[in-house]
Amino acid sequence: MRIKITYTLLILLSLASFSCDDYLDLRPQDGTVRQDFWQTKEDIQAAVIGIYSSMLNNPPSVSDRALPEYLFMYGELRGDMVAPGPNVIDEQTDFITSNILPSNSITSWSSFYRIINYCNTVIDLAPAVIDEDPTLTQEQLDNYIAEALTIRAYMYFTLARSFKDVPLKLEATLSDQDNFQLPVTPQEQILEQVKLDLEEAESLATEDYGNIPENKGRITKHAINAIQTDVYLWTNEYQSALDAANKVINSGEYSLVPATNNWFNTVYAQGNSSESIFEFQYTSQNLNPFYSIFLQRPQFLAAPSVLEDVFGVDYDDPENKDIRGERASMVPGTNEIYKYTGLNENERKALQNSDTHWFVYRYAGILLLKAEALNELGRGSEALEIIEEIREAREAIQSTSENVNPDNTNAVTDYILAERSRELAFEGKRWFDILRNARRNNYERLDILIAVAINSAPPSQQQSIVNKLQDPNSHYLPINEYELYTNKELTQNPFYN
Amino acid sequence: MNRLLNIAVFWRLSLLAVLAILIINCTSEKYKESTDETVNITGYLESNQEQYSMFLEILETTNYSTFMNTYGTYTLFLPTNEAVQNYLDAEGFSSINDIPMEDLEDLAKLHILEERIETVSFNDGKISTPSMQGQYLITGAANIGGSSNITVNKDARITSSNIEVGNGLIHVIDKMLKVANRTLAEMIEDDESLSIFSTALKETGWYEVLDEPLTYNNDSVPSYLTVIAQSNEVFSENGINSYTDLEEKYSHLNDPMNPADSLNLFMAYRIVPGLNYLADLVGTSTVLTKAPLEVIGIKLKRDSIVLNEETFNGVFEEGVAINRNVSDVTASNGAIHFVGDNFFIKKRFPAPVYFDPADQPEFRQLSSVFRKPGNYASLNSDELSEINYEGSYDITYAMPPIGDRTGRGWHGDVLELVRFRTGVTNNLEFTTPVIIKGQYKVWVSYRASSRQPRVKAFFNGQELPRLANFSEYGNTELPERVLESQGYKRHIYPYDNAFYSRLMGIVNVETTGRHTFMLQSTEYAGYNTWLDVIEFRPVDMDQLYPKFESGGDGLIYESDIN
Repeated sequence: MRIKITYTLLILLSLASFSCDDYLDLRPQDGTVRQDFWQTKEDIQAAVIGIYSSMLNNPPSVSDRALPEYLFMYGELRGDMVAPGPNVIDEQTDFITSNILPSNSITSWSSFYRIINYCNTVIDLAPAVIDEDPTLTQEQLDNYIAEALTIRAYMYFTLARSFKDVPLKLEATLSDQDNFQLPVTPQEQILEQVKLDLEEAESLATEDYGNIPENKGRITKHAINAIQTDVYLWTNEYQSALDAANKVINSGEYSLVPATNNWFNTVYAQGNSSESIFEFQYTSQNLNPFYSIFLQRPQFLAAPSVLEDVFGVDYDDPENKDIRGERASMVPGTNEIYKYTGLNENERKALQNSDTHWFVYRYAGILLLKAEALNELGRGSEALEIIEEIREAREAIQSTSENVNPDNTNAVTDYILAERSRELAFEGKRWFDILRNARRNNYERLDILIAVAINSAPPSQQQSIVNKLQDPNSHYLPINEYELYTNKELTQNPFYN
Repeated sequence: MNRLLNIAVFWRLSLLAVLAILIINCTSEKYKESTDETVNITGYLESNQEQYSMFLEILETTNYSTFMNTYGTYTLFLPTNEAVQNYLDAEGFSSINDIPMEDLEDLAKLHILEERIETVSFNDGKISTPSMQGQYLITGAANIGGSSNITVNKDARITSSNIEVGNGLIHVIDKMLKVANRTLAEMIEDDESLSIFSTALKETGWYEVLDEPLTYNNDSVPSYLTVIAQSNEVFSENGINSYTDLEEKYSHLNDPMNPADSLNLFMAYRIVPGLNYLADLVGTSTVLTKAPLEVIGIKLKRDSIVLNEETFNGVFEEGVAINRNVSDVTASNGAIHFVGDNFFIKKRFPAPVYFDPADQPEFRQLSSVFRKPGNYASLNSDELSEINYEGSYDITYAMPPIGDRTGRGWHGDVLELVRFRTGVTNNLEFTTPVIIKGQYKVWVSYRASSRQPRVKAFFNGQELPRLANFSEYGNTELPERVLESQGYKRHIYPYDNAFYSRLMGIVNVETTGRHTFMLQSTEYAGYNTWLDVIEFRPVDMDQLYPKFESGGDGLIYESDIN
């Protein structure tokens, strides 16, 4: 009997001690697993905010350039407004001189696909939360989905403009069983998908988050319309582009900031002005990467011709100047790129305050995209009116004004491009503007691209560069060799074989 | 029993041992002996025989396959089998063995560089390292049927580039490269459209020069020449339809063989020493020619290369363009280019150059500072394209406020150095404006103050005889002409003795063009240094007048004062 009791106790004791112990539990100690996440609306919000912050800077575990650095390099280096600075690396110089090899690390697209995967995760997993959390409304959920869809669309849009054909992945990568071997999807199909996503997002998105930083730093309906304007111009659907631009303009939310001494500080140094549609919200707690690349160890300078050829110089009256040029985009003489490091006309920001935003879309840019759509629709005089409106607001000087016949579509295109180069200097737009206009109607305006190359190429390589650019495939980047090595389904752009 | 057991154990053990040895013997253990599986160039060819067997055969026949398989850094331009076959067909050989050994060796060596050269370092001209054969390869890009490729020697296209192998790089080309074995003279002679030019070469004796094979001097500098040829068409557009017309027009001594005859000079002016492809020419602003001390000015205007385009004393002189598409022809001893219009040595007479060192293109861009009183701007050596100096301090463009004594120089501006001494700013080198060849007196003027250094001047690296003491104030008592004879002058008007000008010496400007002028401080400086004007006045010109307007832009002639 005594033995029986002892055994029973022993068994009970052992059961009790085992059931208390959780050493068999394989959950990570420093993170959350999926089963525990995606329970409440706060989880969705955290995931969506995570998408934004991964666009600003990389997660701590990733050592890579920040996304805006890629956006700057893809959009500016092959244009004619950026020159190598004292701290440039060879790979960047090769980019500037169109000598891009698949081994060039700037062609790495992993930043883009990382963000795409974050978006896919939200799109796949967030809808189920509505069953778990009764306080989540359908409208809130829709807003979140719209944000993820839009950012994913913008990423694919940028990839398609930069690489032409890229793999299209629309589901989240959640486990090792997922298929990572994806072939490329043609550019047209990528752009179709982008348009579909944006349309869906437009129907789901909100117009107002209730405060300015969120309205400028998160995706609103207007931001979606702004991207749509851009996308429709790439697919040559001018009426749709015009409609989208008009939605932004007629919303009444935006206006040009008047040209005063505070203009630069308001629009750039502080950001989130009435001109701003969508900006990456750097703060003094989350600094931008620009201080180092433009000021401390400058990798890039403004090209020597920018001051005179783009903004113009009035040699007789130094007070007469385009507010966008001297000490806004650049510093004359040293050719330093000033847009992201300046505080006002006289002072630069300090390193610890280097929080100038990255400007994805500004109102003036949309006005000029509208002008481009109008011009392509044969309404050149309306396009010219828009240019004049902006030039007046920016106090553009006489030497950069052009007398253009509104019926001459090509001349109006050139004028719009010139105005965009002044308005959007160093905002990662120049190369895409050139390419978008050059490729229209089966590369009818290849001359724009060649002229840019002739102006900016080093004399000893000019002829090679011009001949290379005759091949449309050379306008797009090669797929990085690491991607080709890990994903055997990919096919390299034939120009880079 | 014990013994029996022992025997049994012994046998069993020995059987086991034998078995063990046998087993170990039979399976030789496989372990990797190499640390790297990458093949070398020959290995790459051997493993891709279906594409490259013929070039491999060339390497084997010439015995080069062994060294292409050893450690090193090579670049191989690898023709495909098709390319080699086309070459054989075109040259009329039935197999590789038909090619004479010496030619085959040259051919193989032409495809090999002894350095790793990636396609990113190609430009429009020659690759910086010659091929093992000795000839340079030229690169470029061409668009054929909508797709662009990098090209080698103009028509071989690179179809696959930068293939990494153990001992270098491989670029696959779709055409065999050919050794240029004709001299410049032979190539010009064989070209129908150059008959006038080639006759002129023969009549002036330059034909022999262009026909000399390549030699190397004591410093192993090769004797390459570059010819800017002129076609019959260009001659006839200028009213010259035959050699006789040409001789009539240019030969003023009626002796074309005489180096002083202008026809001889006409031809000599078209021959440039060195191997200059167009990409090399656009990198320089002037090149010397075989015409003694005559230079050709070169300018890149958008995408065309123009010769002798210059603005002299405000007069724009249009240049002649090089015909880019047909140029860059390689001969065994040089390169040939074609010009689109007739050109000749421009006769110019020495003219004064008043060089304001503060007038730099970068300062000029600062329209709110440049020549606006009360403004200053500082830039460093890297930012100034036409000034170089040692030292990390910025130099300053200074336009002092009206009334300031430092603002009484010409244009009212000066170039300011924080301290003109080693460690701050020294060996200050300017690129001068264009100076026409001739003899010039060089005057350097400055704003004087105490604790200034004595300064030496160098023209194109050659030291001028006199020193200028920047702490020396102007003498206001001696008559001007007496002062001039002592090497001083009061160069501004109205005069302020804070400004003074010093004769540094006489220079012989041998070629028309831009030159370098350097100022060197020889001692300690304790205060700012200011430079006003550097004058190059032809020796036979009045050295005092015109003077410079103090604080203004004008020139003051002697007649203006009296």
